Amino acid sequence: MTSTSAHEERDTSALRERLSGAVSQLAAAGALIVVFVFLSFASSDFLSADNLFNIGSQTAVVAVIAIGMTLVIITAGIDLSVGSVAALSGVMGVTLMVNFGLPVPLGILGGILVGAIAGLVNGLLVAFAGLNPFIATLGMLSVARGLTYISTGAAAVFGAPDSFRLLGQGVLGPIPIPIVVIVVVAIAGYVVLARTRLGRYAYAMGSNLEAARLSGIPIKRYLTTVYVIAGALAGLGGMIAASRVNSGQPNYGLGLELDVIAAAVIGGASLFGGQGTVVGTLIGAFLIALIRNGAVLLNVDIFYQSVIIGVVIWIAVFWDQYRRRLAASE
Amino acid sequence: MSRLLLPAALILALALAASCGAEVRESGGGKEGGGEDGPVRLAVVPKAIGFDFWEQVRIGAECAAETSEGEVQTQWDGVTAETDVTGQQSLLQNFITQGVEGLVYAATDARVLADVSEQAIDQGLTVVNIDSGTEPQPDEVPVFATDNVAAAEQATKLLADELGQGGGKVAFIPFQPGTATNDTRDEGFKNVMDENPQLELVAEQSSESDYNTALQVTQDILTANPDLNAIYAANEPGVLGAAEAVRQAGKAGEIVIVGWDTAPDEIAAVEEGVVTALVAQNPFRMGYDGVNAAVQGIREGTPPEGGDTGSILVTQDNLNDDEIQAVLDPSCDDPPTQTS
Repeated sequence: MTSTSAHEERDTSALRERLSGAVSQLAAAGALIVVFVFLSFASSDFLSADNLFNIGSQTAVVAVIAIGMTLVIITAGIDLSVGSVAALSGVMGVTLMVNFGLPVPLGILGGILVGAIAGLVNGLLVAFAGLNPFIATLGMLSVARGLTYISTGAAAVFGAPDSFRLLGQGVLGPIPIPIVVIVVVAIAGYVVLARTRLGRYAYAMGSNLEAARLSGIPIKRYLTTVYVIAGALAGLGGMIAASRVNSGQPNYGLGLELDVIAAAVIGGASLFGGQGTVVGTLIGAFLIALIRNGAVLLNVDIFYQSVIIGVVIWIAVFWDQYRRRLAASE
Repeated sequence: MSRLLLPAALILALALAASCGAEVRESGGGKEGGGEDGPVRLAVVPKAIGFDFWEQVRIGAECAAETSEGEVQTQWDGVTAETDVTGQQSLLQNFITQGVEGLVYAATDARVLADVSEQAIDQGLTVVNIDSGTEPQPDEVPVFATDNVAAAEQATKLLADELGQGGGKVAFIPFQPGTATNDTRDEGFKNVMDENPQLELVAEQSSESDYNTALQVTQDILTANPDLNAIYAANEPGVLGAAEAVRQAGKAGEIVIVGWDTAPDEIAAVEEGVVTALVAQNPFRMGYDGVNAAVQGIREGTPPEGGDTGSILVTQDNLNDDEIQAVLDPSCDDPPTQTS
């Protein structure tokens, strides 16, 4: 009897969690729609196909990396190193093509691999050495940026083959390839979170690490894997960014982690762990991209743009905590 | 055995440390003695590492150190972002503590770094500013820099000439509003814009000194202003991003791009015809003149006066002239120290 009621209670609380996640996404989606409609009226150029595709391409880097970040945040972790890792991957991938003559696809894979290795180090530091994710990845932020400067002599790497442009500038039919990449990564991320053991364990570890450990989840292995995926996606993001400018830029991605984390949080990922979805994160990424795009279309003063993004982050996090308190008091 | 090894190693380490310490003091002694023979130790600090421009400053600084009479040791170090003002402040203070005799540096922030210069002078160091000075600028600290306002005016006049009597719509890509370098390039640009009412400034968006950001904002500016006629970009990432956006929009050659700096891909864009003109500064000469001035200051007591290190507009027509090539690809064998 007691076991049934406990079971029921767990079911309803899981349902409530899911509902509150949906509500949070709904709020972000609402904000996205409001901004979209506002910009459609405010700027006559906003709704052109060219501009919408531009926004899609511009969002790709943040969206792809933010999907990895979502996975990390779901485990109650954080990855501050994504901007530096994206820069390192970008310059290493381009260097492989330019100085070692690797074909473009292998260069791109090489860049992604560099990101995965950085992620592996993050994961080992968090899962095995027991470092706080904030500290472990803060260290990597510095290490990866340093390696970026060491490997390039602090100068941009130019001279990538023209075919490298395809990844960031090419089109598949009418659709820019960066948008195709977003779709592919989003579907993969969705499947991982919703249908695989890794996804289930990620939510479990983020909700209650101790309970997850006691229930027999091999925490160290899965936590490490999560950081490897985040690193690899940072690498892919770095390669897209490099492709968009057909060169490896050692200064790329300074402060990128802010947009990436903001995208995940706006989309309902909770920094306390256990919550976050791919769809929500995509909404967050597009919302930030829309705001940046709209600010330029309307020629908003440069300094105000930073203020606007910051205020949006505040509102998102406040909303996150508000609904959490509401859920707790019910 | 290991019980013996550890103390032995410790003693050895201490002895090494002591001898190194002695060495440092010795080289510092050159200054106190005022002798001409002791090695001079200088710290050369750019605004940031990571750009071609600062690499050329380094080549110039090292060239001056190599060709100087007597031994000159330069230490090159910098923060990773031009916005990291406190980072640069700490770095310079560390150099002062470490006991270098001279600081040659480009100030990331005019006001904050003024204190550091004062502190260094109080400690008896010789200080020289390159590229960007401080406010106030101490009398003892010469500045070797480009006259940004004059060079920006020259570039914008060329832009106005290219657009002709009809004028047109112009976009401006600054990189770090609030900094002296950015704002003086802004000032020169706006001076000429004001003199030419046929030119209309339709957009002003920062590249944040990032190629990708510059590409994005230029794409968006082109979306909002399909009839844009010209772009003025205030540094390397801005020019590269503007050129790439114009290229991708299929408007290469239709839109006049005038900008700053001369990274390899910027030069390639001039050859290609996407970029009309680039302001070539002479970073080599900043490093070169800066180090020479510091050495003179340390050896003779007072450094020489600072000066304009000069700039040239690089276009498709003059790109291959010897004078331009000496500035673009400086070497210590034929240092470009005479351009005006």
